Amino acid sequence: MKLFLSYNKFFLICIFLILRVDISFSFDEEIIEKDLKEITGKLRCMTCQNQTIYDSDADFSKDIKKIIKQKLIEGKSKKEINEFLVKRYGEYILFEPQFNQSNLFLWIFPFFIFIISALLLARRIKKNNVTK
Amino acid sequence: MDWCFYYDKLRFIGTIKKMKKIIFLLPLLTVLIVTSFLLIFLLQEKNSNKPPSALLNKDLPEFKIINLFNNNEFLKSSDIKKKQSIINFFASWCSPCKEEHPLLIKLKNSHKNLLIIGINHKDKKINAIKFINNEGNPYDFVGQDSDGKIGLEFGVFGLPETFLTDRSGKIIFKQLGPLTDTIINNEIIPLLQ
Amino acid sequence: MFSQIGFIFLICAYIANFFIIGSYKINSYFIREKFFYFSIYFIFISTLISFFSLMGNYIISDFSNYNVFQNSHSSKPLIYKITGTWGNHEGSMLLWLLIMSAYTLLFSFNKVLDNETKKLTIIFQSLLFIGFCSFIILTSNPFLINTLSVSEGLGLNPILQDPALAIHPPVLYTGYVGFSLILSLALSSLINKKLDIQWIKVTKKWAIFCWSMLTGGIALGAYWAYYELGWGGWWFWDPVENISLMPWIAGLALVHSLLIAKEDNLIKRWVIFLSILCFSLSVFGTFLVRSGILTSVHTFASDASRGIFILLLFLVIAGFSFLLFAIKTPEKNNNLNLLFINKTSVLLINNLVMIIACATIFLGTVYPIIIEVIMNKRISVGAPYYNSTVLPILLPGLLLMSVAPALSFQTNRLPNAKNYLYIIILISFLLVVFVFVTSFNVWGIFGLFTGLWILFASLYLCIKNYLVSNKKKFFHFLKTNNALIAHLGVGLLILGITFSSVYKVEYQNNIGIGEEINLGEYILKFESLDVTEGKNFQSLTGNFSLFKNDRFLHKILPEKRYYHVSKIITTEAGIYHHPIQDFYLILGEQQNNKWSIKFYQNPLINFIWIGVFIMISSGLLGLLKK
Repeated sequence: MKLFLSYNKFFLICIFLILRVDISFSFDEEIIEKDLKEITGKLRCMTCQNQTIYDSDADFSKDIKKIIKQKLIEGKSKKEINEFLVKRYGEYILFEPQFNQSNLFLWIFPFFIFIISALLLARRIKKNNVTK
Repeated sequence: MDWCFYYDKLRFIGTIKKMKKIIFLLPLLTVLIVTSFLLIFLLQEKNSNKPPSALLNKDLPEFKIINLFNNNEFLKSSDIKKKQSIINFFASWCSPCKEEHPLLIKLKNSHKNLLIIGINHKDKKINAIKFINNEGNPYDFVGQDSDGKIGLEFGVFGLPETFLTDRSGKIIFKQLGPLTDTIINNEIIPLLQ
Repeated sequence: MFSQIGFIFLICAYIANFFIIGSYKINSYFIREKFFYFSIYFIFISTLISFFSLMGNYIISDFSNYNVFQNSHSSKPLIYKITGTWGNHEGSMLLWLLIMSAYTLLFSFNKVLDNETKKLTIIFQSLLFIGFCSFIILTSNPFLINTLSVSEGLGLNPILQDPALAIHPPVLYTGYVGFSLILSLALSSLINKKLDIQWIKVTKKWAIFCWSMLTGGIALGAYWAYYELGWGGWWFWDPVENISLMPWIAGLALVHSLLIAKEDNLIKRWVIFLSILCFSLSVFGTFLVRSGILTSVHTFASDASRGIFILLLFLVIAGFSFLLFAIKTPEKNNNLNLLFINKTSVLLINNLVMIIACATIFLGTVYPIIIEVIMNKRISVGAPYYNSTVLPILLPGLLLMSVAPALSFQTNRLPNAKNYLYIIILISFLLVVFVFVTSFNVWGIFGLFTGLWILFASLYLCIKNYLVSNKKKFFHFLKTNNALIAHLGVGLLILGITFSSVYKVEYQNNIGIGEEINLGEYILKFESLDVTEGKNFQSLTGNFSLFKNDRFLHKILPEKRYYHVSKIITTEAGIYHHPIQDFYLILGEQQNNKWSIKFYQNPLINFIWIGVFIMISSGLLGLLKK
């Protein structure tokens, strides 16, 4: 009797898990498509002129889209997928430059200049008010 | 101690004035710096369609590829790690591959100890075998990469592409597009050990 | 025959420039003046004849001219043979030269400036002419004779056989090249140590004209990219687009500074700096496009020797100008009345914000080149970078734009400040409703708020001014308030950009002939596939009908064209322009009797073109003011 019940429990848990996986899969499909669009929208099609992989219909883009979709289904993160592609194709494939040591100046410069100018301007205006 | 105070103030004003003068030189400096970089870039004759390879000076990617002519034979990356080799990605449908093929044969004939590996990328087995039979076989091993997975590991995105490794298994040269006599003589042969 | 005439007159124009520079040697004042101004006419006419000679070669399809052989074909429609004159590297450089000489001639009619400044400006223009003409004669001669004996040309790229792209270069160059005059004016002011009201007036008019034309040129390019490339977008932060944007931004900053300039708030150094910057960026842009350094849809056939020549031209022009600027900087203005917030300080913020944005775009464009030289690795700097840096930087300027015209120079009071508060409350309310009806999106919220803020505030000021104006003199009202109207255009532009990018809807599907698919609340029916013959191409046109709730809206006709000579297949988008949104359809590939299609709904995209048109018109309107 105990064996029968525990076997049934085991069986029920299996069915439950299968159903659960099934249900969550249909929601995941949408999320995966959304993630796919977001990731491929920032990747360069290596055989096109400045097009993103998302926009391009080239063979290369189709292949990469398949590979990324597979990786998303496997649960890889955006960072891991980008690293995977960069290792093979170089940083050139990323339209958004990585935030690493060689690109530090690129990312910091605009905000640095902006803040410095704002501070200098504020100081000048204050000085102007004081002398008035 | 008044003169101390005035002296420091004057020095401070002096530095501010110098800084202001430098600001006016900034545009000129930017022009000079940017022009120098652009000049160097132009003189290096880089090609805007051919980015430098991401695998340069990195280890050979791990792979295991099946022999085009023999389903039971495989080649692993570890097999060629200690030897210098040329890895040439080609396909029967790629016309520049056909054009560079005689040069590979010539290279193999003049450097018998050089390992030349051909990888047939995204092609049909029948067409690949026909290609080799018609054009000649410079390869010590021809691998079959029908689904392109091996090419993916090497960052291949167009054909032909040719890699050269050194004796420690690092990739030291990559050519995008067909090989020419100039490239072989000026860039590949000097790197042969 | 045309080639010989063209070349001879080009050389004549070239030599005449040396005479202008050397004219000071003539002792008699009277003869010197006559000679000087006659030469200007001569240079323009000679360049014009040279240019028309090249055009003549194209019209008669004279393939003994190497340039025509490379770029034309006898089967091309006549209009595209004509516009093909400037659709290539050499021809477009000749156009550049022609426009430069036209500017010099028109400038020579100026009666406001004193003779010294005028002549000095013309001399600098001549020096520039010599530089670019040397470039043409030595590396890019359009009159080379074809050594092969041929009966047909190599055909033009079919992508260039398009009305918008045909007039894009002349309009663009009228802006780009016009900045050369601004540079010359600035340099002559530095040497004369004179920057007075007359100089400001004259430079202001020319700057507004050049900037308006440049806006038109860029808009034409963007519109062309939209309907021709078939990528569904109109701005890709492509390096070539960035190159045209930088002088545009610098020019806009300059125009603003000059418009607001009065004796006491003029920052002479800043104005001179901007004047030099505009043309330097133009030349830099020309270099990048023609040197082969960049990958882009747009690049001309390139050549390293040409690249090096233009780079050296850039070095000489920008280097010399900025050197002069460093040495002979005009004196500092200590009278600036900067309050928080008055018109002067807002102008300063506007200029700073624009120049920082310009610098960021410049950095993003050259950074990959610098990195590749230093580390031999190639990186990309694309849309994500510019969107995250340039847009936030521009935000303060955009927000202040609405109230700026109403501010005063002296005080920091804003008349009827409460009304602006009401406008903000109204906008916030609209935003909440909008988010409730659609979805929450950060970019969308910012864009909507900024666009509506500029639009409503400018509209409010316009209406306020109209109510107190003389209603009969409507044109006079438009002229006086052209700044407000221009800002209205900007508001529309921002709304158009926000909606068409953030709230764009796209569908990808496969459809067979005779089938229908549901796309949201619309139905697309694939009626038939028709084959038609164009002048030098064969077209496969997809005959689609768009329905909304069973009501027929419009036909949409995407095409695939096969050009016989160049053997290129192009994809032409089928677009149905509706005031609220564009319906954009692309025909993809055929597989198993079904065609893959991409269908986009671009809401409010037409606001972009309308907004830009308003900006250009109000700019040109400003030229008619006293």
